[in-house]
Amino acid sequence: MEAPIGLLETDDATLVARLVPPTPSPYHRLNPTTKAVIATVASLGAFVIGGYVGPLAIIGVVLACAAVAGVLRRLVRVSALFTLPIAISVILVSVFTRAGTTVLFTIGPFDATLEGVDFAAQTLVRLFAISTAISLFGMTTDPRAFVLDLERRGLSPRFAFVAAATVEAVPAMVARAGTIQAAQRSRGLDTEGGLLARARGFLPLIVPVVLSSLTEVEERSLALEVRAFGRPGKRDLLWCPGDRGWERAVRWGLALLLLVAIVGRVAGIVGATV
Amino acid sequence: MSGPQAVPAVQAVQAVPAVRVRGLVHVYPEGTRALDGVDLEIAGGAVVAIIGQNGSGKSTLARHLNGLLRPTEGSVEILGEDAAHLRVAALAARVGLVFQDPDRQIFARKVRPEVAFGPSNLGLRGAALDRAVTEALEAVGLGDQGGVNPYDLGYSRRKLLAIASVLAMRTPIVVLDEPTTGQDLRGVARVRAIIESFAREGRTVIAISHDMRFVAETFRRVVVMRAGRVVLDGTPAEVFSEPAWPVLASTYLEPPLAARVGARTGLGATPTEAALVEAVAARDG
Repeated sequence: MEAPIGLLETDDATLVARLVPPTPSPYHRLNPTTKAVIATVASLGAFVIGGYVGPLAIIGVVLACAAVAGVLRRLVRVSALFTLPIAISVILVSVFTRAGTTVLFTIGPFDATLEGVDFAAQTLVRLFAISTAISLFGMTTDPRAFVLDLERRGLSPRFAFVAAATVEAVPAMVARAGTIQAAQRSRGLDTEGGLLARARGFLPLIVPVVLSSLTEVEERSLALEVRAFGRPGKRDLLWCPGDRGWERAVRWGLALLLLVAIVGRVAGIVGATV
Repeated sequence: MSGPQAVPAVQAVQAVPAVRVRGLVHVYPEGTRALDGVDLEIAGGAVVAIIGQNGSGKSTLARHLNGLLRPTEGSVEILGEDAAHLRVAALAARVGLVFQDPDRQIFARKVRPEVAFGPSNLGLRGAALDRAVTEALEAVGLGDQGGVNPYDLGYSRRKLLAIASVLAMRTPIVVLDEPTTGQDLRGVARVRAIIESFAREGRTVIAISHDMRFVAETFRRVVVMRAGRVVLDGTPAEVFSEPAWPVLASTYLEPPLAARVGARTGLGATPTEAALVEAVAARDG
């Protein structure tokens, strides 16, 4: 259901067109649910299949999609950042505590085994596959478009609003915190100094963030109610992302593929032995 | 903050320009070129309004004046010193910036500590701090509200509170971002009186505003910005005179009613109601 913009008056069409998020690449133009399914299947697939080949193949596909979307470099950077903290602990724990017969080297009472390195490497490949899949979804999908698409598919408008507001609240709060920090720095608050100076600045930053967020929530809920948000019954959407037959087929195909992978793994046909 | 910072004396800074901006370019990380080669010199003690459509670069320029933003190209000198070499906390002693939305800064549970926050960051203590707070609150008409919770005040009074909190810092340069937003006529008159008192003290006042009547009646110099550049710079009579209207229109600004009436009735440049009345009286003998 691509919006009926063509049927509207010019001014209304311009207004509705503002709701449409930018779609700079063919991958961005995919239906948000399709992208969500790709992210889910890739993440679960990497987890279920395990080993090296499956997750690496998934990473390859996701990176190819990222290249099409024009976000390859950013995706790799963000995914690496997400994976890094877990990777460090996985490496430390797995390499030195996993039992194995091939000892590579010893540090104090700990033996680093080949089996531990293998386990850590497989875990990291899985984690990176999951991280890239989810990051690609986040980088190429407008949260509001995704929620509108779910609402079109039957999600309750109230739940859809809560979901959208939650997703949008984070960047809005970050932006608000930036303005508040600027205002306090203008009054001499030193946020560039040492730890003590920064600690002193905590209260002047956090109080306005919280209070202005609460005020905004109250104003927003009032604004919704006066525009009949609580009215029961089905409502029309001004715009929602389009969906295509072949995308539906892709989604079902991916779901089937995941099912096959799960069955194969349970049956011991696919996947690693870790 | 490592310790008390000296607040430059207002009288001592008159010799050098308060603000000197040269070839200032600012490009935001997402690529927006908010300032595109701004050259601007503001003398110490000047009272200047910066006007322009939304997105013309006014607020970006204001944030360069106290180091919240750093130039992509060009330079900003504050009281003769390159702002690039100064931290924001140090620049705060020279440039007080009042943000548009007071709720973006209020954090204290009482009015007095809120006003004391800025000057205490600058090193003011004890009786001097008390005096600065009292004077600032009295100047904005909140002298009897010191013990009140700021959020018990209405929006327009919280806005005055935000002005007081910067006023108390006694900076030689004061930048006000949309000071009359949300103010009724009495509030606007109050803001005008505050700006006039700044001027009497020899402070430099720079205000961003969309209120053309307020601009015409309060400021001696008006700078018009469009797409990150200065496109007009002169007295209110010059900037709001008929030949400049096309430029104003290109920035989606309209001259004040008095200026339009004066031009339409052949009375010349009458940016304020007082000037219009004077011109009518002169014409009628």
